[in-house]
Amino acid sequence: MLDLLLFAVFPYVAVVLAVVVGMYRYFNARFSYSSYSSQFLETRALFWGSVPWHYGIIVILLAHLLAALFPDAWAALIAEPGRLYALELVGLALGLLALVGMALLIARRLYNARIRSVTSLLDWVLLAVLLAQVALGVWVALFYRWGSAWYLSSITPWLRSLTVLQPQIDAVVVLPLVVKLHALGGFVIIALFPFTRLVHLIVFPLAYLWRAPQVVIWNRRAGDRRRG
Amino acid sequence: MFQEKCAGCHTIGGGDRVGPDMEGVTALRDRDWLVRFIVEPDRVIAEGDPIAAALLEQFGMPMPNLGLTEAQADAIVVYLEAQAGDAPAPPPEPPVSVTAPTGDPDIGRDLFSGASRLANGGAACIACHDIAGVGALGGGALGPDLTQTHAKFGADGTAAMLANLSFPTMIPIFGTRPLTPEEQAHLAALFQQTAEVGPPAQPVGQLALAAAAGAALLFGVMHLLWRRRLTAVRRPLVKG
Repeated sequence: MLDLLLFAVFPYVAVVLAVVVGMYRYFNARFSYSSYSSQFLETRALFWGSVPWHYGIIVILLAHLLAALFPDAWAALIAEPGRLYALELVGLALGLLALVGMALLIARRLYNARIRSVTSLLDWVLLAVLLAQVALGVWVALFYRWGSAWYLSSITPWLRSLTVLQPQIDAVVVLPLVVKLHALGGFVIIALFPFTRLVHLIVFPLAYLWRAPQVVIWNRRAGDRRRG
Repeated sequence: MFQEKCAGCHTIGGGDRVGPDMEGVTALRDRDWLVRFIVEPDRVIAEGDPIAAALLEQFGMPMPNLGLTEAQADAIVVYLEAQAGDAPAPPPEPPVSVTAPTGDPDIGRDLFSGASRLANGGAACIACHDIAGVGALGGGALGPDLTQTHAKFGADGTAAMLANLSFPTMIPIFGTRPLTPEEQAHLAALFQQTAEVGPPAQPVGQLALAAAAGAALLFGVMHLLWRRRLTAVRRPLVKG
């Protein structure tokens, strides 16, 4: 019963929350669709936290997504043990990169008074969940090998069954506790998405790629220099 | 039905395997308890039944729920009772082997590693299991190491396990995608070959070290590429 709630009901609750609250926030508080960058307040530690975190987590998320969308191609990709090991090693390295990055980001928020004062309770919750989720992922990658292979027969069918509204949880409920926590963690993050600054991930300024270039000129300071 | 569902782990008079020898079990246990345990061992164990707990401790592995109905369990108990009736005279035959191991261990290894895909679409063994000689970093660690399968369970036990794969984590995957008889034979041959080899070493340390080195390398690359990336836009402008 609990399994049914956690693996067949909760994912829908999370996605519905993400969509409905996300839309409500978009139409009612559009300026809150932001990462609330604190780069203005501090840049050095931000660089060593944010850059590794984002490059690590984006590639890893993509891998989770691709293995769910194209399981056959994925299976062909890892059919040779050498390729499987290469993929797992790259994944684990990126996982560690994200883990260290997130730890640095949290430390930065904890120890820098200026950053701490612009951090809300929900920010802390989100950061803790993200750190736990990445730590669990690294744990799974190390001690429940080879995730990139068993994902295809234990996780992909579950995710697919959720998307066609016929939840099949039998393959996922028999997995070890750490793996189940990691799977649930993903949906906890989806549920947190509309309430936190995580919303920034759907307002990535892609339009910058094709908009006309803008030249920014600071003319006042230049004038100062001429006078001086 | 006994051959199909139980013989992977149990014998009648052939000694303990993964689970206890079933010889004389009908005299040892209450009939209703037997039927119920066969139908829902997971629940009996979860309820803290003392007999089930003792068995779990002795064999170190819970009996999986095989999804049998009460009528089927009853039929199995009737069969066990009949076997017990015959028992005193000749010791019962060990279970008949389902497939004679005429497989090729090399084909078995390719099936294990996923180089050849399983005909019915089941996951390659390497995803969850390790075995000696399957690759530099070994097989998976979600399930047990299979190097000693043949040594532990013998040809018949191995054959029956391969035929059913009635383990809780495997039923949802292989229940509808069983191994073909040829695949079973090839894998059985592989297990026979690895029976004399010791279990492979755990590569966790190597793996963690290599990944940590990779992560450190990426940090270095970031430093070289983007040292100045998040510095304010204005500062260099003002300087210039």
